[in-house]
Amino acid sequence: MSGEEEENAAELKIGDEFLKAKCLMNCEVSLILEHKYEQLQQMSDDPMNQVSQVFEKSLQYVKRFSRYKNPDAVRQVREILSRYQLAEFELCVLGNLCPETVEEAIAMVPSIKNRGRALDDEAIEKMLNDLSLIKRFE
Amino acid sequence: MFLKVQLPWNVIISAEDLDAKGLMLQRSITIRLLDDFACKKATKDLGYFCAVTTLDSIGEGKVRQYSGDVLFPVVFSGITFKLLRGEILDGVVHKVFKHGVLLRCGPVDNVYLSNQKMPDYKYVPGENPVFLNDKLSKISKDVMVRFMVIGTKWLEVEREFRVLVSLEGDFLGPIS
Repeated sequence: MSGEEEENAAELKIGDEFLKAKCLMNCEVSLILEHKYEQLQQMSDDPMNQVSQVFEKSLQYVKRFSRYKNPDAVRQVREILSRYQLAEFELCVLGNLCPETVEEAIAMVPSIKNRGRALDDEAIEKMLNDLSLIKRFE
Repeated sequence: MFLKVQLPWNVIISAEDLDAKGLMLQRSITIRLLDDFACKKATKDLGYFCAVTTLDSIGEGKVRQYSGDVLFPVVFSGITFKLLRGEILDGVVHKVFKHGVLLRCGPVDNVYLSNQKMPDYKYVPGENPVFLNDKLSKISKDVMVRFMVIGTKWLEVEREFRVLVSLEGDFLGPIS
């Protein structure tokens, strides 16, 4: 279906726009959009009228699928994940899907295993543990 | 996946919206930019335009010869959403058909999961039709499902993407 048959996120073969642009986790987008929405509320009585459908649907989606709500927790998640030499894209998939086991993490982001990096199962395990700690103390 | 992007854009401000006070001009540009951005909906390369976050720079305005409108080249930052082949995401079912289900994912409404891409699930007709598998895992309206994107197609006329997804893979299916 896709014109660019080469594209495959599982192997981290992704377009330039993803390598150059910064990816965002759902929880980060949620903080930004909610802040934006509050700003609009102050400017107008009917803020829903001011935003596009794309904005509205995105806000609903990220509210539902954010694993972390508290801004400090969101910052910590990015901080922890960025210790593991992940690509931006991989980092955000892990932050969004919150896999519980090493096996699941590899299924969600197959490229963490096959890019010749030093990410062994032990490192992945530690990363997942750190993430679940944030969740627990949130 | 949501992306943080920085884009150049040309904003046209009509002569009557121009004001000698700089602050008002900035406001006009921002409002205009938001309108344009909302109208555009999506592009093939960047995906859906969700929000403008900051107006980073405003270039020198050029007066257009016949209308007297002024065109300002600006650079702004914003958030877009694009689905990639091979990406794993969560979505919410909003329609159940005999041949598959439609999911919502981010701003995208027409994420299609065909019954051929969830072979262990069987269609159960009724007032509220569902897809069930042997382990009694259920896919019905408002259920959250984790899936993998297997194909995307950009529709130029509608300015949107059509997306095909699959449950063939480990750890995919309904989530609680």
